[in-house]
Amino acid sequence: MINIKDIAKTYQNGEIEVQALKGVSFEIEEGEMVSIMGPSGSGKSTLMNILGCLDTATSGYYSLNDQDISQASEKELAYIRNKEVGFVFQQFNLLGRKTVLSNVEVPLIYSGAKKKKRIKRAEDLLVKVGLGHRMKHYPNEISGGQKQRVAIARALANNPSLVLADEPTGNLDTNTGEEIMDLFQQLNDQGHTIILVTHEHNIAAYAERTIELIDGRIQRDVVA
Amino acid sequence: MIFETFKIAIQSLFANKLRTLLSMLGIIIGVAAVIAVVSIASGSQAQITSQISDLGSNLINISPGISSGAGGQISRTSADIFTLDLGKHIEENSPNVKRVVPTSSANGLLIKSNNNYRATIVGTEADYQVINKYYPAKGIFFSHYDVDNSTEVIVLGTDLVEELFPDSEPLGQSVKFNINSSTQVFRVIGVMEDKARGLIGDLNSQAYIPITTFMNKVSNSNYVSNFVAQAVSSENATMALYEIEYLLDRYISEEDEYNIFSQDQLLDTINSVTNTLKLMLIGIAGISLLVGGIGIMNIMLVSVTERTREIGIRKALGAKKSNILFQFIMEALALSSVGGIIGIFLGGLASYSISQIGGWPFVMSTLTVLIAFTFSLFVGMFFGIYPAYRASKLNPVDALSYE
Repeated sequence: MINIKDIAKTYQNGEIEVQALKGVSFEIEEGEMVSIMGPSGSGKSTLMNILGCLDTATSGYYSLNDQDISQASEKELAYIRNKEVGFVFQQFNLLGRKTVLSNVEVPLIYSGAKKKKRIKRAEDLLVKVGLGHRMKHYPNEISGGQKQRVAIARALANNPSLVLADEPTGNLDTNTGEEIMDLFQQLNDQGHTIILVTHEHNIAAYAERTIELIDGRIQRDVVA
Repeated sequence: MIFETFKIAIQSLFANKLRTLLSMLGIIIGVAAVIAVVSIASGSQAQITSQISDLGSNLINISPGISSGAGGQISRTSADIFTLDLGKHIEENSPNVKRVVPTSSANGLLIKSNNNYRATIVGTEADYQVINKYYPAKGIFFSHYDVDNSTEVIVLGTDLVEELFPDSEPLGQSVKFNINSSTQVFRVIGVMEDKARGLIGDLNSQAYIPITTFMNKVSNSNYVSNFVAQAVSSENATMALYEIEYLLDRYISEEDEYNIFSQDQLLDTINSVTNTLKLMLIGIAGISLLVGGIGIMNIMLVSVTERTREIGIRKALGAKKSNILFQFIMEALALSSVGGIIGIFLGGLASYSISQIGGWPFVMSTLTVLIAFTFSLFVGMFFGIYPAYRASKLNPVDALSYE
């Protein structure tokens, strides 16, 4: 499903060139749950952004669902972000001026779904993540764990083949974090491919496979 | 999709009400100014036009000109040809002219016992009242008999009556007119109706006497200041004008000049002057619209910077460049269109109140409203494009990590 070869990413930080990734290669099969680990500055977020088509690699090959991403146009990347990839962020990244329901609707608006269908789909997803009773609330009226559930519902809106989570428990207490991880576990059991970026070992332990990055290179790639 | 984007735009404008209102202010003032200027100018123009038409569009004014003293000749006016006979000659020989009324005027002091007032005294024919549609409210105007016999009668404007006869009945009383240290006595036989002060000066402070009396007692001259000819109808005014010119050219030698113009020509001149003035004012108001547009651009740029993160989130969720571009252009358009509508309303209100104070008709054309509104939309669009473009080309990763 995912196939990357020799992915490198170089940033121009003022005068200094920063090599965030120095040639990373791996494959991920459909239905896998993989965690990417590493200390800060190891390049794991950069890798995540490239996998999610938010950023493009300086060099190397990337294909998602047999489509060559390294050659994709900006418009195609937007389409992939909308249909193929679902994001869950550490900071939740909900739109504060919109209700929980409207937040889940956003990807559906960009995919051109009709209003009725959109609302139905958003409601179903919110029920699925256990927030059927909070749909008309605004993000600042709900707890952190609930926000992350909304974000997960939103990530699933267009039924993407890949769910990317960047430190999804980073802003949550341990108990809430475990609940969120259980939810990811359930999604994986239902067949969603999930890639998890974290620096916490107990969170990474939810995944059956762990890729460890250090200094822009893969240090270890182990299946538990 | 368009509707959705429009909804998103409106919602984000509502989220920041005060700022939205302030950034709309430029457009509101600009549109209101354009609407008010056009409406007020059109209204006062209509008033001036109707005042002139009231005077009769079939009137032709003939006055002596001045020939310059070239080639050693002394500069002279053609005034010494403007005799009463010339008026009669035109009246009799020009088929399209109904009548010709001579006028002469002089400024002097009107005195009644302890009261005196500087007034313009006009010598004219009995038909003066007919061609000017200006009649006495009290008493009578002098007749052909008075003109033929050069009687010493006078008809006063309302202001003069107020000044000279503050608490007594003027009819039948005598007033003195003092000019060039000679004094004449006249008997008041009429008081003219109250005429609104207009383009042709303040009629209410004029007094009228028979032209012959004027020539014998006031000016001591055989000549009159000018003639007003009345054409048979307004359609024939141009023909009458040509006839008069033809007659005058034969009657008056080549070096002598005269001025002749019809009310129609006067109307045309005034209209072209007011139109120019109107255009100039619209231009000034248009500049304020443009400044309003810059205000919109400013606020949109702030808005884009402030919402960088939102743009990043939307892009991560699949928004295309065009979606973001469209959203921000929509916001600019919503700002300028709502501003435009408020501006039209305020401009209409302002020009209505001013027309009430100024006493002219309230004129507001659909075309003006449409043009002002379209222009405000155009301004919003024009100044909204750059901020929207900046928003749309933000890199999703950079936008998401923006604090």
